[in-house]
Amino acid sequence: MADVEFNGETFPVDEDGFIMDFNLWSKNWVQHVKQEEGIDEMSEEHWKVIDILQDYYKKNGIAPMVRVLSKLTKFKLKHIYELFPSGPGKGACKMAGLPKPTGCV
Amino acid sequence: MAKQSEKAASFNKNFKARTNRQHSLSFATCVHCGTCNDSCHYYLATGDPKMTPAAKMDKIRKIYKAQNDWLGKILPSWVGGGEIKSDNELEELKDIVFGSCTGCRRCTINCPFGVDTAILVGLARSCLVDEGVAPEGVLHVMKDQWEIGNQMGITPEEYIDTLEWIEEELQDELEDPEYKVPIDKKGADFVYVINPREIKYDPRPLQAAFKIFYIAGLNWTMGSVGWDNTNFGLFSGKADLGGHMGNLAYNHAKKLGVKQMVISECGHGLRSTKWEAPNWGKANPLPFEIISLLEVMVDLINSGKIILDPSRNQYPVTYHDPCNLSRSSGMTEEPRFCLKRSCIDFREMTPNRTDSYCCTGGGGAMSMTEYTPRRLEVAKLKADQIKETGAAICATACHNCVDGLSDLIKKYDLRYEYEDGKSKLVEVPNVCELVANAIVIPKEIRKTEKEIRDAVKGRTILVIDDEPDFVVFLQTLLEDSGFKVLKAGDGNTGLSIAKSKRPDLITLDISMPGKSGVQVYRELRSDDATGSIPVFIITGEVDFRQLMYQKTVQAPEGFLNKPIDKDLFLMTVNKILEKTIRNKHAN
Repeated sequence: MADVEFNGETFPVDEDGFIMDFNLWSKNWVQHVKQEEGIDEMSEEHWKVIDILQDYYKKNGIAPMVRVLSKLTKFKLKHIYELFPSGPGKGACKMAGLPKPTGCV
Repeated sequence: MAKQSEKAASFNKNFKARTNRQHSLSFATCVHCGTCNDSCHYYLATGDPKMTPAAKMDKIRKIYKAQNDWLGKILPSWVGGGEIKSDNELEELKDIVFGSCTGCRRCTINCPFGVDTAILVGLARSCLVDEGVAPEGVLHVMKDQWEIGNQMGITPEEYIDTLEWIEEELQDELEDPEYKVPIDKKGADFVYVINPREIKYDPRPLQAAFKIFYIAGLNWTMGSVGWDNTNFGLFSGKADLGGHMGNLAYNHAKKLGVKQMVISECGHGLRSTKWEAPNWGKANPLPFEIISLLEVMVDLINSGKIILDPSRNQYPVTYHDPCNLSRSSGMTEEPRFCLKRSCIDFREMTPNRTDSYCCTGGGGAMSMTEYTPRRLEVAKLKADQIKETGAAICATACHNCVDGLSDLIKKYDLRYEYEDGKSKLVEVPNVCELVANAIVIPKEIRKTEKEIRDAVKGRTILVIDDEPDFVVFLQTLLEDSGFKVLKAGDGNTGLSIAKSKRPDLITLDISMPGKSGVQVYRELRSDDATGSIPVFIITGEVDFRQLMYQKTVQAPEGFLNKPIDKDLFLMTVNKILEKTIRNKHAN
């Protein structure tokens, strides 16, 4: 376990760099992951994905399958990967403050 | 003997009971010659002598010595032997066998005696797991495999929903609105068994494989259960879970009656499903063959069933050999063949094939967050190797490797400079994605296929059967599928309708009062007016089959026993009509 400092805010993270506590998520966290992910500019579409992931997580306590994410955002699979090069699990979920996906990913 | 903690005592007991001849051989033959040092990426990247395979294995070997070595039993300290005594020691062992070895077997290949480090690690892991001394991630995944039947806890609804989604995506991509992903299709030649990661997070390789199957015109199916090829029995060393997962897949494949089981690009999935789980699950001999998607693709390319245009993959591509495919399954040339045929610029990284370095995510290590920093530290070796190739794409044939490599590429910031001045992180696709990208869709074939399916719709089918209930049953089935139906309750009526209306297909019952079905069939075939109409025999009797064996009558186009299976019936009707139309096209 370690801490990530960004813009004066401190985020405890796990060894894979996922935030330890969903409640500590803030826009600064997004800026931090954005750099790591190599995303130049956050678009409305990025935010839509993040909002939907967080809503789903609050209601269900788990990350949605990529299918559900595509249904809710109405984005095609290819487009989700264009938005988040590391993919929905390790890119989008990380940015939205969800825990690391389980299993060998 | 010093007092052992409860867990330690139980661990030692299990360890002794599970040590078999293979383990003993690998425990006893190591002479600490040091040849393995240079083969382990943990040692090479850190230079830490405690990370050499022999040193790591000595932590397990000492238990073996205390339990089995004749001198070790009397004077354990003399031979460096000793059982596990405390919970702390168990934790230390956990750190070694889960956190400092991916079981990639590079040391085994380089050992003059072939000491199989991976099975020793597996033995220690299995005993640790039983004491609950294992990374949370591993225990979590094992639980999901036991309880839900796949490693990511995907429900049947979610699974089907995702397949339907891929179906829609492919309908767009293939411009075929009728495209279907077959599920539990009876009479399919093979069942495709996948990694749950393809369902939950990244269906792109799934889409690529389905596209290849479609264009090659293969007769295949997905299974509604037993579709997870991954096996945490292999990773945790627990043979009971290994057998359970294997049998889930085998039993469903048996039910479907397939000739082959095709494993998607997953290293430990192929190794466990093909080589290990039949033994764990006592499932040998299996009534079907298990092969990799890579082998299917090689065959399709060789036979010309798919045509590839390598210019569609124009950026330099290299290939990472997954340990479970290269060292444990002998599969090194198939992926190269596929890549060389589908990419312009293929570059080898060095060393490669059975001497390849581990992706560092080996066989499930990705599921253990606590070891990520160490994993990424020792990944430097692999990162340097990839960097040296200057490739834009590092393809691999294993999902675990995809994630392991993607992680290290991000960590070491491996980039490719494109000609527009933009640089992007090196991409890590599966081999099938590059093949699917290079595939040429034969336009005319696609058009005819669609035309044929359209032409089948609305065709007229004559049902000859003396049981009114059964006639209504078939009529409903056929009309619901868009066919026109004519009915006859006996042989003579059937013959006269056949002559006057010339239906596109006749379904014929054999056992009827009055003129028997066999007689009706002979008359239909001998009359020029009806001789070319395809006939689909539906019967409860076997007499007709005997006639066919004796070759006194020409074989009908279709044959089904009562009681009939609805899906199989409709599928046969469609196949017969499609075949007739295709033959007419060809003539």
